[in-house]
Amino acid sequence: MQDPVLDFTTDPLDWRPHIIPVDLAGATPEQLDAMKVTPSNKGVSPYVLVLAHEPDMLRERTPLFNEIMYGEGGLSRAGRELGALGASVVNHCVFCASVHAARYIQQARKPEIVAEIFENGAKADLPLEEQALFDFAVDITTDPMSVTSYHLHHLRNMGLSDLEIVDLIHAVAIFGWANRLMHTLGEPHRKG
Amino acid sequence: MYARQNGDVIESVLGLTPSSPIPELRGLRPMLKHLSQTSYAAALEPEEPCNFSRAERAALAARMAAAWRCEELATHYRARMVAEGGGEAEAALADPAWSPPAPAGRLAAVLRHADLVTLKPKSATRADIEALKASGLDERDIVALSGLIAFVNYQIVLVAGLRLLRDH
Repeated sequence: MQDPVLDFTTDPLDWRPHIIPVDLAGATPEQLDAMKVTPSNKGVSPYVLVLAHEPDMLRERTPLFNEIMYGEGGLSRAGRELGALGASVVNHCVFCASVHAARYIQQARKPEIVAEIFENGAKADLPLEEQALFDFAVDITTDPMSVTSYHLHHLRNMGLSDLEIVDLIHAVAIFGWANRLMHTLGEPHRKG
Repeated sequence: MYARQNGDVIESVLGLTPSSPIPELRGLRPMLKHLSQTSYAAALEPEEPCNFSRAERAALAARMAAAWRCEELATHYRARMVAEGGGEAEAALADPAWSPPAPAGRLAAVLRHADLVTLKPKSATRADIEALKASGLDERDIVALSGLIAFVNYQIVLVAGLRLLRDH
């Protein structure tokens, strides 16, 4: 069998579960509802099929994730993706990091930021604004109780409003959640 | 559909009063607030707790919060464990320093996994899931446990971040 991908990459990856996913053909109405399967939407990823073992949790988690990452207003999409990347680097979720690095690049048009993060991980040396967001994500993920007024001061100095900081906190937190599912319940493989 | 905990857990554990700016900020993100609370209900108060009782879920959550020294949430979950009828057995596993006398079996495997994925998720591998299977957990149990661990760690980061804003 092919080895899983262990190092950060922007290459597109497949996620293969360590446990048997729900069989779509045999899914309960509750599971189908939680997976948002409709006659016109039958494409369900292996990840969602795994989480569908607990449909009550999945039903709340999917809209929460989408609202945190793609909701209107507040912190920029790129800022949220940078928060997601910081968490994913600390938790070493190679799959999450690949997906959200690509989205960050799409939004910010700064592939050099991702290159530096993938090269130097949590110690990445970035321009001031990116550094403030990334360091907050890295530090609160490494030890949630370690963040101090210094972090807040740094973010506010970069012009972030308190509402944008609330958005950043949610983006990092939801990756504390996503990384703990994606990195533990399966592993990334090169496509094809 | 759930026997819901009264009120918003985040606001309750942070001791937020209406005069604090945090409820107002969270009020601008009503979906995040609402779905964080419904996710809490799904992880801690499921209609079908299956092989993890509500008291055991609360005890595991208290253990994770205490492992990160998040006292507000640890206190909340210990109270919740008692409210769900947890006794001495649950109280023991709520303490991150406690490990079961028998190093094999379901409880040891569950605690080992909860501790690992809470504090060092990067170190988790396929072998850790295999160990859960070997201890008797089925696919649904593994997803329920993983979902609980993941949710509580989300909540801990949220509390840590919002507390910072509350205090500064």
